Amino acid sequence: MFTGNPAGRFVVLFCSVFWFGLAHSADEVRVGALYPLSGQVAKSGEDTVNAIRLAVDIINNKYPDLGVPFAATEGLPALGNAKITLLIADHQGSPETGAAEAERLIVQQKAVALIGAFHSSVAATSSQVAERMGVPYISGESEASTLTERGFKWFFRTTPSSRTQARDFFTFLRELNKGSKDQVRTIAVVHENTLWGQEFAKSVEGYLPEFSDFKLVADISYQQGTADVTSEVQRLIAAKPDVVFHASYDAEAILFARTYKQYKFSPRGVMAIGAAFGSSAFRQALGPDANFYLIREHWSRDLASKNRVVAQVAKLYRDRFGKDMDGTPARAFSAMMTLADAINRAGSADPKKIRDALAATNLAPDKLIMPWTGIRFDQTGQNDLTRGIFVQTLDGAPRMVWPFDQAAAKLVWPRPAGR
Amino acid sequence: MAALLGILLVLPMALSDRPFELRMMVVIFLYAMLGHGWNILGGYAGQISVGHGLFFGLGAYTSTMLSLKLGLNPWFGMAAGGAAAAAAGVLVGIPCFRLKGHYFVIATLVVAESAFQLFAAWDWVGGAMGLQLPVQEQGLLNLQFHRNKVPYYYIALGMLAAVTALVWWLERSRFGYILRALRDDEEAARSLGFSPALYKLLAMALSAGIVGVGGVFFAQYVLFIDPFSVLALSFSVVIALIPILGGAGTVAGPMLGAIVLVPISEYSRVLFSGTGRNVDLLIYGFLIMLISVYRPDGLAGLFRARRERRAYVSG
Repeated sequence: MFTGNPAGRFVVLFCSVFWFGLAHSADEVRVGALYPLSGQVAKSGEDTVNAIRLAVDIINNKYPDLGVPFAATEGLPALGNAKITLLIADHQGSPETGAAEAERLIVQQKAVALIGAFHSSVAATSSQVAERMGVPYISGESEASTLTERGFKWFFRTTPSSRTQARDFFTFLRELNKGSKDQVRTIAVVHENTLWGQEFAKSVEGYLPEFSDFKLVADISYQQGTADVTSEVQRLIAAKPDVVFHASYDAEAILFARTYKQYKFSPRGVMAIGAAFGSSAFRQALGPDANFYLIREHWSRDLASKNRVVAQVAKLYRDRFGKDMDGTPARAFSAMMTLADAINRAGSADPKKIRDALAATNLAPDKLIMPWTGIRFDQTGQNDLTRGIFVQTLDGAPRMVWPFDQAAAKLVWPRPAGR
Repeated sequence: MAALLGILLVLPMALSDRPFELRMMVVIFLYAMLGHGWNILGGYAGQISVGHGLFFGLGAYTSTMLSLKLGLNPWFGMAAGGAAAAAAGVLVGIPCFRLKGHYFVIATLVVAESAFQLFAAWDWVGGAMGLQLPVQEQGLLNLQFHRNKVPYYYIALGMLAAVTALVWWLERSRFGYILRALRDDEEAARSLGFSPALYKLLAMALSAGIVGVGGVFFAQYVLFIDPFSVLALSFSVVIALIPILGGAGTVAGPMLGAIVLVPISEYSRVLFSGTGRNVDLLIYGFLIMLISVYRPDGLAGLFRARRERRAYVSG
């Protein structure tokens, strides 16, 4: 009676999908990847997954000229050249869906390790599932500081947290102050008021006791999507900070830069977290006024001038996906490589052994495409050898100016007045 | 009916090693329950709201905050969350019910969106970072189950059964008739001595309260809430879409809507979304278009039309 109507057809569809087979062979290591592949950040999610796809392809196949671990061999040598099978799941940016997908990947798809999840909120819930089921979870780009403050045993993070990113701002200024008579003392924070901006401002405040040579003179938050920032800039002018720290998205970054010029507000430096103050939209909108803004980044193609591998991987990524690699894919690539290294050292696809190998990770900087001094996890599972970089827009192009020992161009400081 | 209930009662045994399908059933029950809640106001009383995510979020936040700040038991939180949502419903209803038709729809949307912005900026409730519920010893008392999610299934099924019974009763009660009279002709109902304002507010309180209780269950199930997952506009739309698709103003509507919508969205995501081409959302949207073009009265209308045709033939 059912087959004639849509409901009946649906039941048939439901049942056939329901009993999908799960065949898999023994000489493979199944890794589940949780990323947003639909919804608002689908594009960034796809770029990030592509980097993981590239990493897995390098591990599974022969790339004789590439200076990356596992490139010269096919598969993981310690597991009889077993290949990694990547199981990609879309969590749509929903914490609830992420947890469900994690459970499905582990129980039904037999994943022995998980990697994810772009959104910190999704990493929070999906890693809880992994923790409960005893499966290692590695994150290369979920930054919320709280993720590694939960006392989890199965959660590892290669990327710096939001908090440690704020630390780079102070380290940079302290190095700048060293031996200079033009000392930076006062700081203002300007941030948008969603998750990212709030956490950045809190992290800056949290580092003040440790960096007591600096003083916070203004903490200004504004509504994401605002059309006018005159009153915010007036408050900045009144507070007279030496340096402004910024957490803003594209539209407001342009708005702030224009309003600064309009009111001739010219601190010695404007340092931003996130890409907005160095984006192509920003440079197009402001022309020569886009110069001299400093952007804290995770990664830059300028790193290639000191590290041959960066150029090789960036080229592979560009050739394969028709798009330049940027900081988030580069970090996801590094997380996948770290996981592969651990699986290989474990010599087994047993989750417990992989977890123990991850905890004992110690990767040297020459094996990485990141500016970090290595990868090593502390008690909480956080990589404590991370380091950010600062990029400055010079003559309309982003150039890496810090860490000073890896710089590709010389920092312009203080920024010329009137700009 | 009894056979269906019997199948649902033993289904978890068949799903013991299929957590994905088990969880999907929980989501179906929860969404059907939310759909019932919306249906009381939107289907029976004819007041279309696209802001019910507000009540869901309020329920979730109330119980979570009570648990985090005062250490109160989630069962108490469930009562408090439902009551808070119902009270908020009345507060929202008093000004909004002065508006009619499209203007009421817009008002509910604006109120829900404002609440989203407020919670995202409000530090005390976790702001945009959200709130994580502490993991406690599992059991019915703490309403937390970690190793085995089957209890959540039965709780969700139980809640859905209770709400379905309530709506079934409501449909046959004097209250239900008054609501439908309001929907069909407000002036006529008023002329018979029924105050539209009072009955709309009662419907709103009941509707919001049910959705609020659903929110508390969700918070206990996921153990993490943030404005994006419980207060987002897209969620308000889903709450309305389910009963509209299934058949607004019918007891079966919200359940049919959830049974169809949830698996389509889940399976299309799993099967197609890994390609990153959003095929799942295309399929989802296409089905909704099909149903709204061919069955504007929802899936329930499909069965009704068949029954009526049969009655016509045999009569």
